[in-house]
Amino acid sequence: MGVIYQAKSIRTMDPHQPHATHIAIRDGHILAVGTKDDIADWQKAWGPLEENTDFAARTLMPGFIEGHAHMMEGLLWDYHYVGYYDREGPDGTVWPGLKSIDAVIDRLSEIEKSRDDKSAPIIGWGFDPIYFDGRRMSAADLDKVSTDCPVAVLHASLHILNANNFIMDAADVKNADNSEFIRRDESGKPTGEFLGQLGMYMAMRTTNLDLLAAASAPQTLITFANVARQTGVTTCTDLVNPMPEGSEVPMRETVEKDSFPMRLVVAYQGNSREPAEGVARMQALQKEQTGKLRFSLAKFVADGSIQGFSARLKWPHYFNGAPNGLWYIEPERLGEYLTVFTQAGIQCHIHTNGDECTEVALDKIEAALRAHPWPDHRHTLQHCQMATRSDFKRMKTLGVGVNLFSNHLYYWGDAHRAITMGPERAARLDDAGGCLAEGVPLAIHSDAPVTALAPLFTAWCAVNRLSSEGVTLGNETQKISVEEALYAITMGAAYSLKMESEIGSLEVGKRADMAILAEDPIEVDAMALKDISVIGTMVDGHVHLNHGRD
Amino acid sequence: MSEKLPLTIISGFLGSGKTSLLNHLLSHASDDGQHRTIAALVNDFGALNIDAELIAAQNGSQIQLTNGCVCCSIGDDLMQALLGIMRAENRPDHIIIEASGVAEPSRIAAYASVDPELRLDGIITLVDATAHHLHGDDPHLADNYHRQIQAAHMLVISKPDLSDADNLAALQAELAAARPNVPILQAVHGALPSDVLLGIKGDAPSADLTQIEDAHGLESRALHVHGTVARDTVSATLNSLRPHLIRAKAVLQDERSAYVLHYAGGRIGIEPFDGDPSGHLVIIGKPGLPDAAKLHALLSNGGA
Repeated sequence: MGVIYQAKSIRTMDPHQPHATHIAIRDGHILAVGTKDDIADWQKAWGPLEENTDFAARTLMPGFIEGHAHMMEGLLWDYHYVGYYDREGPDGTVWPGLKSIDAVIDRLSEIEKSRDDKSAPIIGWGFDPIYFDGRRMSAADLDKVSTDCPVAVLHASLHILNANNFIMDAADVKNADNSEFIRRDESGKPTGEFLGQLGMYMAMRTTNLDLLAAASAPQTLITFANVARQTGVTTCTDLVNPMPEGSEVPMRETVEKDSFPMRLVVAYQGNSREPAEGVARMQALQKEQTGKLRFSLAKFVADGSIQGFSARLKWPHYFNGAPNGLWYIEPERLGEYLTVFTQAGIQCHIHTNGDECTEVALDKIEAALRAHPWPDHRHTLQHCQMATRSDFKRMKTLGVGVNLFSNHLYYWGDAHRAITMGPERAARLDDAGGCLAEGVPLAIHSDAPVTALAPLFTAWCAVNRLSSEGVTLGNETQKISVEEALYAITMGAAYSLKMESEIGSLEVGKRADMAILAEDPIEVDAMALKDISVIGTMVDGHVHLNHGRD
Repeated sequence: MSEKLPLTIISGFLGSGKTSLLNHLLSHASDDGQHRTIAALVNDFGALNIDAELIAAQNGSQIQLTNGCVCCSIGDDLMQALLGIMRAENRPDHIIIEASGVAEPSRIAAYASVDPELRLDGIITLVDATAHHLHGDDPHLADNYHRQIQAAHMLVISKPDLSDADNLAALQAELAAARPNVPILQAVHGALPSDVLLGIKGDAPSADLTQIEDAHGLESRALHVHGTVARDTVSATLNSLRPHLIRAKAVLQDERSAYVLHYAGGRIGIEPFDGDPSGHLVIIGKPGLPDAAKLHALLSNGGA
């Protein structure tokens, strides 16, 4: 038997019927949506529907869709969050942000004191020294936690790691060659900060542990899904996964369980195999797809990050004079991959942070489409943070969509103004307003675990464009409305994943995926969007309630 | 543990001949008297095009060669690939990482800095004689291209046979001006001796040195040094041989202890040596190296 849910308000994201009060669910799909009277007539042919008033005081929306996150989010909660901002864990615990290096040391020291196995490593994550007025964490800081076991802190970017002297001594770092990837103090002594993957390599070599071993374990997926559920997400991406042979089998077993509260879209890591082998692997994976698990797209990471100075920027490059960043795939190779994947009919999402990289990616897409025309390829640029109006015009012409990294406005907006790109280009950072004005399909994202997974917060960023220091980046032409932002985290993201006919709005026949909210996002002040409490979600009609919400 | 495991990075743009060089090293690993097992971390097996007769076994991400070498696919996760080699029960004699075309080789080389069991032997950057201007003037790639040249401890000009003499001379001069202390070699199809590219294995030159000399126009010297020699003296002696010097290896002792010294591309690395030092000093260089008697004199005069 189906169920009719009564709600205080239903925001459908369907333009022909944007608002409703009742929604009927049957067999995991939406049978009807409208007023109680609208739905009553459906029972003549479809039999009685059970009335449910559990959410009569709530607002229902289409489940949020996170178009750019990583399963790593699920792994990191095995370790200890030490970031600057409050962050909610998979069990609903809110870990308060740590506002000084001493506070980070205190939290890790508490963990050290309360544990039995004194030799196991202690690993923190989510740290970002950008907020500490130039003070960096040192090995001596981490020695206060312990000198008898490995202590490491992974930065929010995932590209820097701080180690204590226990690790540094084991790695014999004091005798290491000079390397720009080992930070040193004025006397030339390594400070304990390691760039790129060096720190992680060193920690794994010296502990002989595979700290990333659980990256694809079922429990990691479950933790990932629980984090998503806490924030109203019903479909989430793992936006770059090399998918070793056979890895889809345990993944499917986990995701297919009704208790697993999320639909998962895995983006195959395009350059993890040769182009033709990649196409074959994707075709094999696509045969294994289910309603809840998709292997519908390939992802390419073409440059680095702006705050890490590894993104490729056009002249005049970086505001602070840092040398231009790195290509992660050579442009020629990217072009080869895009051509082969386009020919095979595989949608590609391309990470382009800097504007030079965005331009090159568009050049390569254009060349691929000249060779293999495909009207609805829907290739999408991910992050695309520095795109200009002329880039968006070109995307429109080429049929390219965009998924902007709107959370950057808040977390790194100040750093972008002062250090990386300067005020002019920071003003049009993640220009959602410009994107929509030029008619380019828009989604917005968190890139979790780089920033916290929370689509209502991401929407808040795109609407208000406030940095963490309270500076407004740009003006009204870069902002979007609350309605447009809500569309971006539902239908916009669904469109970027070619799933808009199944999810993203509450319409007859679509999947019964919903976010259950304490307040109506259209009714609250735009500045309160991020504070709306998420009661739970519904995935294929199965209700998943969050912990401790009312 | 006697010596650290040497790590060589081969960098260079797409099409610059990295795979040819690697293929040559792998297929000649057991040609010389002293066999050298290589673990090569590569981007693409297919492109490597290893002679079928040399392949002993292949599974997913690894190819075992009949000469004991192994090729591992990086698959865009270099860290895990390198961890795999370092954690394996049987370690190779040498690790080579084929950097992707746009990689920052110094970033890869840095792994050796944080691994007490690894020693960076050097970064070899390949420069395509036929594409130098194409890459050096590319608006998107020029900075990356020059950074690879700047990071090199040895520069190898590839495809000299496809370039005219004037172009080759101009390229040689340009590279020498950019990197005055770095050896610049030329190789057709990656044909250079392992001892030049990877260093001198063992105490004595492993290949037939006259063969190297004939085929590549290089010179070599092998000395036996009696008694103790200060580390600074050997370093000063080798530094005085620039720019002719390409490679050197010495296993000697000073008044305190035995040590092993490697010279590659202007870098001198000295590590403690466990065991009895052989007293050998082996040098490979371009024509113009002093003779053995002069070298002995330099060593007894503190290198001056």
